Amino acid sequence: MEPYYEELEDEGSLELPSEPMKLNMGPSHPAMHGTIRMVLDLDGETVMDVDIQPGYLHRGFEKSCERGTWSQVFPYADRLNYVSPMLNNVGFALAVEKLVGLEVPERCTYYRTVLGELARICDHLTCNGATAMELGAFTPFLWLVKVRDWIWDILEQETGARLTHSFGRIGGMAKPPTDQLEETVLAIFPEIDHAMMETEALLMKNRIFLDRTQGVGNLSPERAIAMGCTGPVLRSTGVDYDVRKANPYMFYDRFDFDIPVGHDGDNYDRFVCRFEELRQSMKIIRQALEQMPKSGPVNSPDIRYVYPEKEDVYNSIEGTIAHFKLVMEGLKPPPGEVYSFTEGGNGELGFFIVSDGSGTPYRVRCRPPCWYNLAACKEMLVGDMIADIIPTFGSINMIGGECDR
Amino acid sequence: MSKKVIKRLEKELGDKILETSDFRGDDTAIVGRKDWKAVAELLKNDADLAMDHFIDITAVDYPEREPDEPRFDVILHVRSMQKNHRVRIKTRVGENEDVASLASVWPGANWGEREIFDMFGIRFADHPDLRRILMYEEFQGYPLRKDYPITKAQPLVPYREVEGIEKLPPFGPDEGQPWGRIDWQARLEDEDYQVSPALGVQVGQRPMLSKGPETDTDAAAGEE
Amino acid sequence: MPTFKLDGQEIPFEEGDTIIRAAYRAGVEIPHYCWHPGLSIAANCRMCLVEIRSGRQMALPVLKWDEKKKEYVEATKPKLQPACQVPAGEDMEVYAASEVALKAQESTQEFLLLNHPVDCPICDQAGECKLQDYWLTSQKKLKRKKTEPVHKPKGVRFGPTIVYDAERCIMCTRCIRFCDEVVGDHVLDMRERGNTNEIVLSPGRELDHDYTLMTEHVCPVGALTSRDFRFKARVWFLKSSPGVCNGCATGCNTWVDHDPRYQRVYRLRPRDNEEVNGYWMCDDGMMTYHGFHEDRILTGRVRAGGRVNEAPRELAVQAAAKVLEKVEKGKLAVVLSAQHASEDNYVLHKLAREHFGTDHVYLTAKPDWKADDILRHRDQNPNRAGALAVAGGKAKSMEDLVKDVESGVVTAVISLGAATTLNEAELAPLANLEGVGGAAHVNLTSNAGALASAASVVVPVASHAEMSGTFINAQGIAQQFKKAVRAPGGIKTAWETLIEIGAHLGWTVDIARLNDVRKDMPAKLPSATGASSAPAAPAS
Repeated sequence: MEPYYEELEDEGSLELPSEPMKLNMGPSHPAMHGTIRMVLDLDGETVMDVDIQPGYLHRGFEKSCERGTWSQVFPYADRLNYVSPMLNNVGFALAVEKLVGLEVPERCTYYRTVLGELARICDHLTCNGATAMELGAFTPFLWLVKVRDWIWDILEQETGARLTHSFGRIGGMAKPPTDQLEETVLAIFPEIDHAMMETEALLMKNRIFLDRTQGVGNLSPERAIAMGCTGPVLRSTGVDYDVRKANPYMFYDRFDFDIPVGHDGDNYDRFVCRFEELRQSMKIIRQALEQMPKSGPVNSPDIRYVYPEKEDVYNSIEGTIAHFKLVMEGLKPPPGEVYSFTEGGNGELGFFIVSDGSGTPYRVRCRPPCWYNLAACKEMLVGDMIADIIPTFGSINMIGGECDR
Repeated sequence: MSKKVIKRLEKELGDKILETSDFRGDDTAIVGRKDWKAVAELLKNDADLAMDHFIDITAVDYPEREPDEPRFDVILHVRSMQKNHRVRIKTRVGENEDVASLASVWPGANWGEREIFDMFGIRFADHPDLRRILMYEEFQGYPLRKDYPITKAQPLVPYREVEGIEKLPPFGPDEGQPWGRIDWQARLEDEDYQVSPALGVQVGQRPMLSKGPETDTDAAAGEE
Repeated sequence: MPTFKLDGQEIPFEEGDTIIRAAYRAGVEIPHYCWHPGLSIAANCRMCLVEIRSGRQMALPVLKWDEKKKEYVEATKPKLQPACQVPAGEDMEVYAASEVALKAQESTQEFLLLNHPVDCPICDQAGECKLQDYWLTSQKKLKRKKTEPVHKPKGVRFGPTIVYDAERCIMCTRCIRFCDEVVGDHVLDMRERGNTNEIVLSPGRELDHDYTLMTEHVCPVGALTSRDFRFKARVWFLKSSPGVCNGCATGCNTWVDHDPRYQRVYRLRPRDNEEVNGYWMCDDGMMTYHGFHEDRILTGRVRAGGRVNEAPRELAVQAAAKVLEKVEKGKLAVVLSAQHASEDNYVLHKLAREHFGTDHVYLTAKPDWKADDILRHRDQNPNRAGALAVAGGKAKSMEDLVKDVESGVVTAVISLGAATTLNEAELAPLANLEGVGGAAHVNLTSNAGALASAASVVVPVASHAEMSGTFINAQGIAQQFKKAVRAPGGIKTAWETLIEIGAHLGWTVDIARLNDVRKDMPAKLPSATGASSAPAAPAS
């Protein structure tokens, strides 16, 4: 081949030949949290189209629930949004309690609130830490994850496990709160504040961080609403929809807290939204710990749905029969269907459950917030560069367990 | 949930609403399969209802209802952002029947309907891209149907050939770890063949970058 | 048909029906313990008390606690009637789920459980216990008594088959009424009163009639347990498939309870069929399930040179085919079995008739046994009528077969089943047929027996619980039974094995599935005439 010379007026007219390229950002990729495959159509470095293919973590949650009893769903529910498992537990327990018409004691509701908000804090710490790390800021990730680990220590003290604790029960919780709950939780708050303050100091005015997150991954509010987005993704676009305020459940109407709302719908807004929500969660926990009754039962006394006390099980036939029926056949809600929704880490986490009157669920549908957020992610990605995929995808907090179930 | 929505729907659509219920406060209306899109458009476009926030679309399988009633229930949950009211709309679809896609009304329904198609096999007419989403393309059957046994084994699927795409090195006819492969043919024939730098050290083709004084002496000794 | 209303639902009834029987026929259950459709009315449990709001209503003056005034005030309470005793009347309005009725059920249940021992983990009735089920629907609470329950004798041996536990007993007297009315043997009765009540045996007697296991079957709680079944399996692991007992020509309908994890049958229970067995089965029939797994022949046997060699099933099939190839057509004897289903007999007869062109048909059966006028039939074989119908109404006996073999009229025998009235010595001529020059005895059997020992080639086939088929009982009713467990090691049913052997011999037949066999069977060999039974749930 001979060298080719051309006289150019200006360099701008030298068009490099390019054709659209299909790039597979495969499921095994450090930035594709929890396995998502994106088949990108690239023009140079710009994303023209993306085919997001979820499903690599599909474990058949809904089918597995149809196989056991109602209380055997809790270990599966934990593994939905596995960075904030308590929120899933609480969501499912509330759904079955709605179906049954079961009331739980106040102490249980406050306890669920405290543990749920701690789980939400963990979720937001992880998301923001991971987003920062993928942009190259490894240090804030370590700070935030260190704090998250201390929160996991609290959860271990309460529930016995750091992550997938299966602690919720229909009609109550597995165990009552320990005596150290209040002091350990309040002791961790200054640590969280400190870690967040340092992270913000490092990132929020950092030129690189701002360039990579502001104006990137934009989503308009109309589009977000029509796509079914909820949670920080929706709130960052300026829509102030939070289930805890719009349809208060548990005792969220007794607490005084705000809903942080962004205005551009870009990555930066999502990042800041999450941090602000984290602060609001701490506020809620403080109020809940204050208002929580210091003693009293945590479980509902209705032994058709909640295990009786062990001394009743061992010493009376009714207790044995109740225990027997709950274990062998499962609790029997009345036939019907119910949709119960709570604010999960990523948005409206709904459970649509159908009962046929027997101890086995007929259908348990989990409405995952990040399923619809991920569908909207496509629009956030088209038009941006490959490198922008990383913070955008990280900022929607797509948790594979919840998305694919 | 909201009774107001149900009342409004009953007023507008009259007897197209087959049943309503509000078990545990969830206001539900059941419509016929053919009216599915009309109801959706009314919910979205009407000024009083203004149900612009798409929440969820899902399905439930009741195989024992056949042949009296169609087997699947398709269930839609929507909400209004301004008025903060919700409603659940259901319809009944049989096994080989289509139901209209709501992707043109709420784009969020796109993935929800793909998932229903994947898990139940219900086809959505006029869906922009109806293909499997959670399962792989070669999956046989529809897992969430009640007659799909949970322990069913799928046949093994051969590697997919990707058409029309040139695989750049190091991926080629034998994909795999590019750094572990040794091209023996080239190595035996051609003394000067190149290996990847990581492997080169191990097969003695490329000297280590820094050596201590002893090895220098050894090398010097070896040269003589 | 006249109807009455039960909780708003119209229930049709026949003249003379009580409310509970009419509801039972319609498939609606009113909670009860002591009532049983096959026994007389006792009305002692008081669980079926219902409110009847039509006709002459009786009300009782009672004192009711008024929460607001914090004192007792006078009120009236409708007098509840036991649904098992009150005859249904046209336009009656019965409420089994009204507030008063539910309160009565709750109280009755609490009383029944007052002194009940905490035995659920070790009680065989757990999982099918009425006390457990009605606790969940009626009482739903813990009891209010805090003192030690009354203790009574436990683990009392009533007889060779039954153990009694007085603490669990709720004194419903179903067992007493059963022994009195159905068996006619007044061996059980009640002793003492109040909370020292218990069931006892007649002095000097033990529970030894032929229907003792039925007392365990009617007992709604775990007071009477079967020594054969106790502690063997938990009922929630068992699945039930509808079967027909193969113990005698009555053909009692059964539920074959098996564990699908281990593919093993653990017990039989009677299935209601008003035409055939009513609600009962005899002890020997209940014990026939042992034969499904014990004394089985699971591999083929080939006799060569005086020695019996075990062979895998496929080899035995091939050996049988090889041996039958050399048989002179017209000299083959076909032995049908009154123990085997009509389908097995039919395919064997078809093979013999079509391929071998023989008309030497014999029938083997178990000998007669002790009969009674309750359920047991003199004929110990479930399908003599079916086997005879296959043979066209007449078949020669085994004694004739021995004579024919000795005289050389037949030189080869193909037989089904191992049961026969003759013993091994008498079957010696058959045993001597050893594949020399077209002489052979091929036996297809599931269990060991005299005929199998007298065979030169034994091919294993599926037992009664491992196949679906038809029995025609002594009344001429054809009843179908369903397969419960899988035959071990790839063993097939007798009719499938015969088609396999026939294929080796070059006999083609257009039969692949059981329905093909049934379609092929002629009209006078029906595969079902009697529909088995009444409500799908067995009365317990």
